[in-house]
Amino acid sequence: MTAPCRPNMPISPLAQVKGIEVHRGASKVLEGASVNLGAGEVVSVMGDNGSGKTTLIEAFAGILPLRSGEVIWHERGESILVRDSDGRRNPPPPMGLTLQKGGISGEETVSERLAVSLSVAGIHSHEGQIADLLGYWGLRHRSEDRVAHLSGGLRRRLSILCGLAPAVLSETPRVVLLDEPSEGLDDSAKETLKGWIRALSSRNHGILVATHDKDLSSCADRILTIEDRILSESTGESLGEPSQLPEPVQSSEQRAISSLIRWSIRMELRNPIETVGRATPAIVAILLSYALMMDYDLQSHDSRLLAALVLAPAFIASISSPALVSRLSESDCGRWWDAVSGPMARPAFSISGASILLPIPVTYLSWLVLSGSVDEQVSSEVLTWLWIPALAMMDLAIASTALHLLVSDLSRSSAAPAPLLLVVMVWPFLELTDALSSIIDNGMTWGLSIHDPLVTCIVASLLSALVWLSAVLIPDY
Amino acid sequence: MALSSVDSRLLTNSIHHYVVFRRPVSDFRDSAVIITLVGLLCAAITAFLGFFQAPLVNPDSWNAPGAYRIIYWHVPFAWSSFLSFCLLFLGAVSWYVKRSERGWRMVVIGSELGLLFGLGVVISGPIWGSVEWGVPWDWGDVRLNTYALLTSVALFLVMSLRSQPDGEETRDTLAAVGLFGFILVPITAAATTIWRNRHPGVILRESEETGVDPEILQVMGFGAISFMILFIGLVLLNYSIYNLRVELESLNREIDKEGMK
Repeated sequence: MTAPCRPNMPISPLAQVKGIEVHRGASKVLEGASVNLGAGEVVSVMGDNGSGKTTLIEAFAGILPLRSGEVIWHERGESILVRDSDGRRNPPPPMGLTLQKGGISGEETVSERLAVSLSVAGIHSHEGQIADLLGYWGLRHRSEDRVAHLSGGLRRRLSILCGLAPAVLSETPRVVLLDEPSEGLDDSAKETLKGWIRALSSRNHGILVATHDKDLSSCADRILTIEDRILSESTGESLGEPSQLPEPVQSSEQRAISSLIRWSIRMELRNPIETVGRATPAIVAILLSYALMMDYDLQSHDSRLLAALVLAPAFIASISSPALVSRLSESDCGRWWDAVSGPMARPAFSISGASILLPIPVTYLSWLVLSGSVDEQVSSEVLTWLWIPALAMMDLAIASTALHLLVSDLSRSSAAPAPLLLVVMVWPFLELTDALSSIIDNGMTWGLSIHDPLVTCIVASLLSALVWLSAVLIPDY
Repeated sequence: MALSSVDSRLLTNSIHHYVVFRRPVSDFRDSAVIITLVGLLCAAITAFLGFFQAPLVNPDSWNAPGAYRIIYWHVPFAWSSFLSFCLLFLGAVSWYVKRSERGWRMVVIGSELGLLFGLGVVISGPIWGSVEWGVPWDWGDVRLNTYALLTSVALFLVMSLRSQPDGEETRDTLAAVGLFGFILVPITAAATTIWRNRHPGVILRESEETGVDPEILQVMGFGAISFMILFIGLVLLNYSIYNLRVELESLNREIDKEGMK
């Protein structure tokens, strides 16, 4: 059945790519591609394997670097430059996005994932709405299951629902980007998908679908075909009956970054692999130091040795690879967050994924275990001020996480030797060792000369901040 | 014998290469190999001159006067590695600013040569340091640490270049790492050195006031020229290898297409 078309009606653009050129390695995938996605339009992108369909979807989302051209989105009459070839980048307006690999971490529960997709788009839904939406796609009974426990087909349904829901519940026209949505779907789910796409179109949302599936592309108003890097356009059939969708709700301001921070904390609370993964080597280091040094009178040696041994466990905990990196690499979850949050995703992740709290208790524990032979008065003075170097260790942890995130940008990040870049963190660590050594020898002093502990800790923090800034700013330039 | 379609395509490609560049790839590579071999020979002569011709330094001013001879390789290694890191840095900037293919080639070649010559510095340095200073490593020595970190960045890049699929994002990330290393390392090293003071003292001042024998300077000068020739040879050799890789990839793509028809 042919849905009502709007021939010759002026269509207000929601998003457009203008003259983009995108390379994969030395080869050009798209050359001079310009596409407008208007309100109420369904556009299907077709082409052979490797022709550039996914590249076009990801370019629209602003997550691909461009050789030339720009990506512009329109929101309430305002044009927003999402990305251009000069490296300028801004967060896109709220959108629905389904990546080819889904973009969902296995740690999340089904309902949680849907709620996150909505909250990132500024839609704060209640449990009933979430359950209703899940019900349309046969996922209501799975709402409290972790995504990792779902079958491939159910997982695909969830990722499509998460891509469509921000538009379904939005009062204002939104862009929906779907990459191979029908892959792995059974016939009934595919029918639901087609019905929802047509219904979203009738509510003036713009939908861009990359697909091989001729059946799915039959519901498109326009068909773009990519062949030898060049786009050609033909008119689509606009087939399909619009489904009955839930009513839109009032949306508030988009809060992608706060959603992102809450998400990473929630993942850690559910499965504290980060804390365990960092605390274990730290505690092993403390015990090893104790076992090896118990027969030595540490006080008779240079205090730097004791200071280094006390701070080493927190240092080890700080530079360990954050669990967040593996969560983000699962099913392109990091790319999804990158697309919906824009350029602020990296700094936010480097802070939320760092071991911020652990260095303080680990350093105190380390001192209590290793300072057996130290004079009681000295020990009391150190215990009073140990928090200062331990606090500076937080900066070191944040900088290390930023370096891990930089390496995780690589498509095979597990094959890249990230620890080689972490060598730079030795210097802030040595500064902190000097600071603690000075506290052990002379007590806490508040002078501002370069060898005073406070200044040394500030230098360590500044060095870490410099590393953090370089690792966070350079890649997104 | 009739040529298969793949063979004829390969032949066409070689002819195309000859027509475009007016000479086959192997000619260019042959010159690179010759220059590299000359560089290696001169470097070996430098070592010979350093061990057997150069005079001994004043034993009163040095803890291990015999060990100083390592500088005839150590110092040229450092100069060549500095040139390599400059190549890497300029390439990374060029890739970042212009997405230039030539810039990317400079990143690839600069990181490979930076690793080679940087390892020369960080291996020969501690050998000398352990006998002259009594310690192989000093975390307060700005030069040693700068080179160690730049070498570790180069090692990261070389390993990643081999393990990652070539793509725009891979190139962006690796160029970012190159910039990160070059900008950050000397700054942090200098900052740290200001606050830390463990260096045992300057080992060699290259001026007449300090009484460095002119013969020593002559051998060092010869070493510098030798390593410069070696550096140029290796740049050309790496450049031709890179070109061959690109050509091979393009031929593979042609064959891939052939397979689908």
